[in-house]
Amino acid sequence: MLAVDMTGDAVRAKNGAMVAYEGRMAFKKMTGGGEGLRGMVTRRLTGEQMAVMEAKGEGTCYFADRACEINLVRLQGEKLYVEAGNLLCTDAALRTGTTFTGLRGASQGNGLFTTTVEGHGQAAITSDGPAVVLRVTQQYPLQVDPGAYVAHTGDLRQHFQSGVNFRTFIGEGSGEAFQIRFEGEGLVYVQPSERTTVGGDV
Amino acid sequence: MTGPVVHDVHSLPADDNVNPYAFSVDLDGRWFLQKGKMIAYYGQIDFHGIGHGRLDRLIAGSFHSPLHAADWVVAEGRGKMLLADRSFDVNSYDLDEGNLTIRSGNVLAFQPSLSLKQSIIPGFLTLIGTGKFVAASNGPVVFVEPPIRVDPQALVGWADCPSPCHHYDHRYLRGFLGGLRAHTGFGGVSGEEHQFEFTGAGTVLLQSTERIVPELATGALPEEDGIPGDGGHVPQSGSQLPQLPGNLRGLQRRFGL
Repeated sequence: MLAVDMTGDAVRAKNGAMVAYEGRMAFKKMTGGGEGLRGMVTRRLTGEQMAVMEAKGEGTCYFADRACEINLVRLQGEKLYVEAGNLLCTDAALRTGTTFTGLRGASQGNGLFTTTVEGHGQAAITSDGPAVVLRVTQQYPLQVDPGAYVAHTGDLRQHFQSGVNFRTFIGEGSGEAFQIRFEGEGLVYVQPSERTTVGGDV
Repeated sequence: MTGPVVHDVHSLPADDNVNPYAFSVDLDGRWFLQKGKMIAYYGQIDFHGIGHGRLDRLIAGSFHSPLHAADWVVAEGRGKMLLADRSFDVNSYDLDEGNLTIRSGNVLAFQPSLSLKQSIIPGFLTLIGTGKFVAASNGPVVFVEPPIRVDPQALVGWADCPSPCHHYDHRYLRGFLGGLRAHTGFGGVSGEEHQFEFTGAGTVLLQSTERIVPELATGALPEEDGIPGDGGHVPQSGSQLPQLPGNLRGLQRRFGL
């Protein structure tokens, strides 16, 4: 559960994620994720719809989502890439947008696009079990199972890597046929659990 | 506010837990792991399905469970590999010339110096030899020593002691009403009339919840006389009467029908 202390400022959160609050709060549904008309159209087209509300007021507001673990990410101008479903809450000062991710999304079964958060402030992301934060450097690229990937920050290139060979087709697949390879400099958030993915059983 | 701990290839522990839910393997050679338990890795690691090929000798030496072959892979190479299982608690155990039997859904990975065999108790696997393995449990594991009676759902596995037997609470089941209660549930059941009983020297592993880690579909056991489990034929009573479904059949047998 996430507690947010507010003094007249606002946070954006996933619709319906508020579980309790103390003090004075006003909740407002933000059509199209608070990104204006263009953002709304982009989200509709890319399938990264987010139902977002704005909480504003004074007091403490508590957010939670399906008993998931919550990880706080402090952003100082960099960009956070996260699946819309894993984004719980952001400071109002952070901008959200949509970006193309390539083949990774397709293997996860959640689309070719992902959500970006940028600016200065904090964002809260949910994961099934506490996320492990892994650093990627030039010398040490990281491979992640698409089902366990939650989010990443920094200047990272993603490659979709596949170990499919003839054995996969005769039923002797390794079960780890698809990975995302991250190269560059940055941090990757991985959850200790796997979502069911389209490529997961291959 | 302190940020989350950031791990890189050097700060990840070698063959130890990162947090209660994720385990880091310092791989230099080969490990067996269950499909889909790898969440991330650094370095050069290949995953091979278990079948014929150049891993034949390794598999002949440490994998003796053809029914589970489809669920296991061999990781080969160098690097650090993170394992996790549906955010259950994960722990590693060291075996030293020992044996340990564990629910098949709970094993994540093991070193090839161990050898994996199917237990004669359906749904359980036995690991024999010296080496390390990683297993999941729903909540932290508690170690207890026999003699003990445990709830079937809380049992994770046991080491070095003879196989368990079923224990039924006799007093509760006695008489006609007891039979009716046990077989139909009428009259209320406490849910604790049935336990596994362990005797002898060894260790029993329990998890702190009765929600079990879902078992793997392990396929059918070979149809052979003397093998307990799905493969064995259901003993037919001599009666020619139509058999009632489910637990009621037991009630029917009690009345000699």
